[in-house]
Amino acid sequence: MDQSKAPPQESRRAFLKGLSASATLAAAVAVRPAAAATRTVQYGMLIDTRRCIGCHACSVACKAEFDVPLGNTRSWVEYVEKGEYPNVSRNFLPRLCNHCSEPNCVDVCPTGATFKRAEDGIVVVDPERCIGCKYCVQACPYDARFINPVTGAADKCDFCLHRVSRGIAPACVETCIGRARIFGDLNDPNSEIAKKIATNPVSVLRPGMGTEPNVYYIAADHSDEQERRRGSYVRVTTHRKEKERR
Amino acid sequence: MTQRRDFLKLGAAAAGASLTGGTLVSAAELKQGGEDFSPLSGAERTAVPTTCWQCVSRCPVIGYVEGGRLAKIGGQPASIRTEGLLCAKAQGGVNQVHDPDRLLYPFKRVGKRGSGQWKRISWDEALDELTAHLGKLREDGHPEKFMFHYGRMKASSSKLIKSVFLAGYGTKTIGNHTSICEGGKWTAQELTWGSHYDNWDFDHTRYVLNFGSNCLEAHTNHTSVAHRLVRALADRRVKMVTFDVRLSNTAAKSDQWVPVRSGTDGAVALAMCQVVVEKGLYRGKGEEFLKFCKFTAAPQASQKEKLDALKAHLASYTPEWAEKISGVPAETIRTIAVEFASSYPAVVISYRGAVAHYNGNDTERAIQMLAALTGNIDNPGGRCKAVGAKWKYPKFPGNKPKAKKLKIVDGFPGQAKLPTHHISHQVLKMIKDGSAGRPDVYMWYCYQPVYSNGDVAENIEILKDEKLIPYTVCVTPFYDESAALADLILPDATYLERWDWEDMVSPNQVAEYYIRQPVTPPPGEVRDFADVCCDLAKRMGFPLGVDSKEEFVAKSCELTHGVKEAGGFAYMKSHGVWHDPAAKPKYHSFGKVLKPEALAANGVIFDPATGVYWNWRKSKAKSADEAKSKGYAHTKNGYKGYVGQQIGDAVYSGFKPDKVNKSGYFELYSTIMEEKGLPALPTYVAIPEHQAMKDNELVLTTYKVAAQVHSRTQNCKWLSEIYHRNPAWVNPQSASRLGVSDGDPISVKSPAGVLETRVQVTPAVAPGTIAISMHCGHWEYGRYASGKRAETGSQDVPGEVIWWTDNGAHPNWIIPNRADPTNGQQRWMDTVVQVSKR
Ligand code: SF4
Ligand code: SF4
Ligand code: SF4
Repeated sequence: MDQSKAPPQESRRAFLKGLSASATLAAAVAVRPAAAATRTVQYGMLIDTRRCIGCHACSVACKAEFDVPLGNTRSWVEYVEKGEYPNVSRNFLPRLCNHCSEPNCVDVCPTGATFKRAEDGIVVVDPERCIGCKYCVQACPYDARFINPVTGAADKCDFCLHRVSRGIAPACVETCIGRARIFGDLNDPNSEIAKKIATNPVSVLRPGMGTEPNVYYIAADHSDEQERRRGSYVRVTTHRKEKERR
Repeated sequence: MTQRRDFLKLGAAAAGASLTGGTLVSAAELKQGGEDFSPLSGAERTAVPTTCWQCVSRCPVIGYVEGGRLAKIGGQPASIRTEGLLCAKAQGGVNQVHDPDRLLYPFKRVGKRGSGQWKRISWDEALDELTAHLGKLREDGHPEKFMFHYGRMKASSSKLIKSVFLAGYGTKTIGNHTSICEGGKWTAQELTWGSHYDNWDFDHTRYVLNFGSNCLEAHTNHTSVAHRLVRALADRRVKMVTFDVRLSNTAAKSDQWVPVRSGTDGAVALAMCQVVVEKGLYRGKGEEFLKFCKFTAAPQASQKEKLDALKAHLASYTPEWAEKISGVPAETIRTIAVEFASSYPAVVISYRGAVAHYNGNDTERAIQMLAALTGNIDNPGGRCKAVGAKWKYPKFPGNKPKAKKLKIVDGFPGQAKLPTHHISHQVLKMIKDGSAGRPDVYMWYCYQPVYSNGDVAENIEILKDEKLIPYTVCVTPFYDESAALADLILPDATYLERWDWEDMVSPNQVAEYYIRQPVTPPPGEVRDFADVCCDLAKRMGFPLGVDSKEEFVAKSCELTHGVKEAGGFAYMKSHGVWHDPAAKPKYHSFGKVLKPEALAANGVIFDPATGVYWNWRKSKAKSADEAKSKGYAHTKNGYKGYVGQQIGDAVYSGFKPDKVNKSGYFELYSTIMEEKGLPALPTYVAIPEHQAMKDNELVLTTYKVAAQVHSRTQNCKWLSEIYHRNPAWVNPQSASRLGVSDGDPISVKSPAGVLETRVQVTPAVAPGTIAISMHCGHWEYGRYASGKRAETGSQDVPGEVIWWTDNGAHPNWIIPNRADPTNGQQRWMDTVVQVSKR
């Protein structure tokens, strides 16, 4: 699944907001979201892409944990290949729900089925209240959501709430061959994740969307859109049914 | 919507994850694994420690069972090898058990062979039929006409099936698949340091130099090695340089990717050796190690004589010479050689990218030389001798018959001079030829003779021919391309439904003992083939002393020192893994000075020609006199009696031979090769077919990806969903010369056939190369691999939609079965192809 020939995507919303970089995935040194400070716990994930080897152990761990139906993904890994021979790079970008502090999906949900947990900031879907209207699927700027064909309800990564609440790390974190994924409480300054974020340049995906993601990256490669517009070779492979990437 | 209702009842109400409220455990206290819960009900899933078999790494894992059904496979936190981590492939193993196309019963063909018409039969009928065939051959005194061909068979399965059952039966017509795997690398290592396997000590290294290994995606010890390599690169900022024709993910994570012309890694390695010697960079650790190396014909050469021989041999292998051959700039070679030699401890690693060539044997020997010259042999941080579990197991009761053999597993006469791991990819050609005899019964186990070898069309033609092979038996859990050509199919258990003890090498030089146990019972009438062997042997009147593999494994646990004291079988069933907590990592195994008692033992004699002390009684020599007159090197199985190597005034443990009668030196000068008319010292030989290539020709290379295991995992839907199509990679320079653009349909033609596929134009491959991965293009193997259901019956999966339709193309149709003339390795990476737009 690649989109090497896909035309550059202009992000209309980003444009309307007057952001200079209309890159789909723009880099930014992240600032701790103010909203989270009022919460006791805000779970988040930090993915150190320097350690990521694109092995998909996380993708399959997540698939198995929830028996996610074919065609849908809670967790996936994108390959970004760029450059001119012989100076070629391939970087890996693991993806999942960002458990945003200002989640678009929550804003648009007409029934309150999608909400952000007060206890820990995990964005969840209550399948009992979900009517399958797909508003959230459209609203999420990260393509993190899908309608689960088995339940008919919206679905996505829930930070493995059923594990975390029982004292076990998320499935993708447990298995990560590169030990690239760190999960923890962003609001606890002594947590490993908070310390790593404090001491490393980090970024989030599409910061211009105002979603305030809680998934952070170290050394994520965000330059593919600019490179593409410069006419350089860029090939993004999403490894999912959705070839296009948001 | 019943499913949805059920889910809602179970899910939100029973609160697998109570969506509101609930006490939170501090993230700092989260356990990294060893438990799993149902996301629907919240109930704990039952954890069963067992062992993966998706690839040959055989990592300890935990199977998690929910309501009697295997739901998930996770890492084993107690494993010193994986440290609890687990790759994608291992986790896709769940799909092996639930494959809706899997074989559930024995089947017998009814139409013509290969016509796809099958009749379900009972095990009784199957065993009656098989016993009739096998029993008759044995009674007629022709057990060798039963050929058993396995692909992967390891540890207790190998011992029970090969060393007990087949030995008790009396056939030695046993094929493996090592020559299509890594046999060439193994032979080259046996010739230099005795044993076949190398471990790379990433935990202590300061520099990694890689020739053609993609160990971050696929390796014979994948997870255990990959996580350590990432740790070294990320935590200790170890520098890594990768030589490869293709930007693998391993190359992508290296500090430097150096594209190299296909099959020329040996030239680069020799040039690096030349730089090390010319600049005197061997001084220090390399010089100390020189004492254990053989560089000349004489066993007791001085350091000076060795260095002079080395200098003379390497003189012409300059970086400028290597640049012309490999396309790698001389300056790059020089810089990397100097960096490598100045970064002790440093490790040079290699695999099929470098070795599966016409000249692979000496490429591997040149790489061994580079490691030796810098003292990076069996040292912390270097290239180490393998350490694995040493299990004891029950032997065949009573006397084994003298086994007989058809000479069809080592290729045609003269095809390869030292095929120490056989030439399995020539077996079908040998059968067709017939001059060395043909088996009456050809049985294959955990093997895909049709798909996994080159020359696919010819494989099909031969296997289909009932005149060439009267009776074919396939033992497999899945209906694949080879099963389609069987007369009888025995439904084997998947690895998640069977017993084993396991012994794969430890990357930390401390042995790990571990077992495999059934996570769920086998479905339908599926049976582990080793259990079937116990029955067959009884029917034929030579009972094996155990009734099942479970009994074999249980007894092994009670026989094996360490495991037994830890609690034996019961302990292993509940813990899965064991290692000696007091064990120290093993290094410098060669440097032990032997005590005089060891040399005074009964039968031990000195061989002046090699400087080896050896026990002639363990060889095939009939008397001490015969042994002395023939000498160590020329006595059959002399190596089995190896005791130690005289070096100067002392006798050292040295580099113990494992397959050939080499001395205890690290043999860079190989008398064995010399006597076979091959170069004694590592030498570069150009690949003949690559010398006069035309404009529209490219060299085909194959590779593996992170989410698949060679031919075996495409039936795993979670893996095939990620990786199912494999367009051919071509560099933009080559593409424009050929007039093809990204996505174009192309024909790839070789002397073996034509492959139709699509092209992916990418700078991630060297010009002159076409790279096609080896996982795709199945035409059987069930719906996820081929889009086609099994002809032996299948189940519906309600609501499931397989969204991909392109299953890719299989390169083996156009790769001929050829052999490295030294060691017999299949030359996977050598085929010259013509590419054109369709
Ligand atoms: S990533 Fe998408 S689904 Fe997740 S919280 Fe943000 S907007 Fe919602
Ligand atoms: S946290 Fe859990 S649900 Fe989210 S991506 Fe990881 S495994 Fe999937
Ligand atoms: S498991 Fe870890 S290393 Fe592998 S792709 Fe996922 S994040 Fe990257």
